[in-house]
Amino acid sequence: MHEFSICQALVAAVLKELGKVKDKQIRLKKARIAAGQYHRIVPASLKFAYKILTKDTPAEGSSLLIKTVPIKLKCNKCGWSGLTRDICFVCRKCGGVNMEIIGGKDLCLESIEVERRQAQRHRGTK
Amino acid sequence: MKALRWNEDRHKDTEEQSDKVFSKTERFIKFSGFVPVFLLPMCLIKTMKIKVYRNLMGANDKWANKTRALLAKENVKMLNLIGSPGAGKTALLEQTVKKNSHRAFAVLEGDIETRNDAERLARLGCEVSQLLTGGGCHLEAKMVHHALRDLPLHRLDLVIVENVGNLVCPAEFDIGEHAKVVVLSVTEGEDKPLKYPVIFREARAIVVSKIDLLPHVPFKLKLCLEFIRKINPHAPVFKVSAMTGKGIKEWIDWLTAAG
Repeated sequence: MHEFSICQALVAAVLKELGKVKDKQIRLKKARIAAGQYHRIVPASLKFAYKILTKDTPAEGSSLLIKTVPIKLKCNKCGWSGLTRDICFVCRKCGGVNMEIIGGKDLCLESIEVERRQAQRHRGTK
Repeated sequence: MKALRWNEDRHKDTEEQSDKVFSKTERFIKFSGFVPVFLLPMCLIKTMKIKVYRNLMGANDKWANKTRALLAKENVKMLNLIGSPGAGKTALLEQTVKKNSHRAFAVLEGDIETRNDAERLARLGCEVSQLLTGGGCHLEAKMVHHALRDLPLHRLDLVIVENVGNLVCPAEFDIGEHAKVVVLSVTEGEDKPLKYPVIFREARAIVVSKIDLLPHVPFKLKLCLEFIRKINPHAPVFKVSAMTGKGIKEWIDWLTAAG
């Protein structure tokens, strides 16, 4: 849910990182985010929001790669830990319900990839 | 029966696809393993990966932390009351105002439109402030932080925020509260904890409301409690009826202890 408001924070973060790069002849190629499944991000909506919100910014035309991080659970009773696709907090080993979420809760911008502008590159190689 | 998970399956291929678009040179370099010497400097500067690792919920969390600091300074506890529209959140608060004699508390009412709920509580003499989102489906940390300034925090020891009726969005937005409380009415169906797991997982207490209607609705209370335990093994569950006043005492006792 709320891909647009999340995407606003994402675009702001991307532009901030892009502004830090000294070389101004660059273009943003990709932005990678890691989305914990606990956040229930809908990739299609987030990509749509990203396309709209990056319009007329230096990040326009870049693609957004979303890595979904599955939820990792740990059983406090028997010590089992593992990944799950569903939000179902029942231990697969002992059937206990005393589960702790130890992963898949984060939502972060992992990295951005920049490249030199195409036109510049051709001129350089000729 | 096949279920389509919109948030995963369908768009898994997009990442691979976007990596597959190579230019002629790139394909040559990738598959032959040979990098022409004159292209070497170009390859080096062509793309650059910058590691960031920045939390994207930061903007909301910043306001939530501000609110927490403000509440800590005034020594006030804050609860976030969440439930679907018509679950009985305001009715529960009305009973709480009536029966609660020893806590100084205020209510922050979140609604899309109308001041009806605030008026209902104000009539009972409760300190109340209305927050109209004008379309927003949940309260965000920034709104709550600004609305809190209207309340006489120095005189209070508990603020209950009644969120906009919704079981989805409020789960994801930390508003700086100390605990979330979910209200589930028996007219909604016992499987709601499984359908909206995030909110039930985050809750520190769960209120099953309208239990006076149990003889008239096909709601299986035992099954519902089982489902709640699957999602959240620790939170206390209060079975209350705001109409008859049943179970309100236990709820108020918890409220007193929680504050």
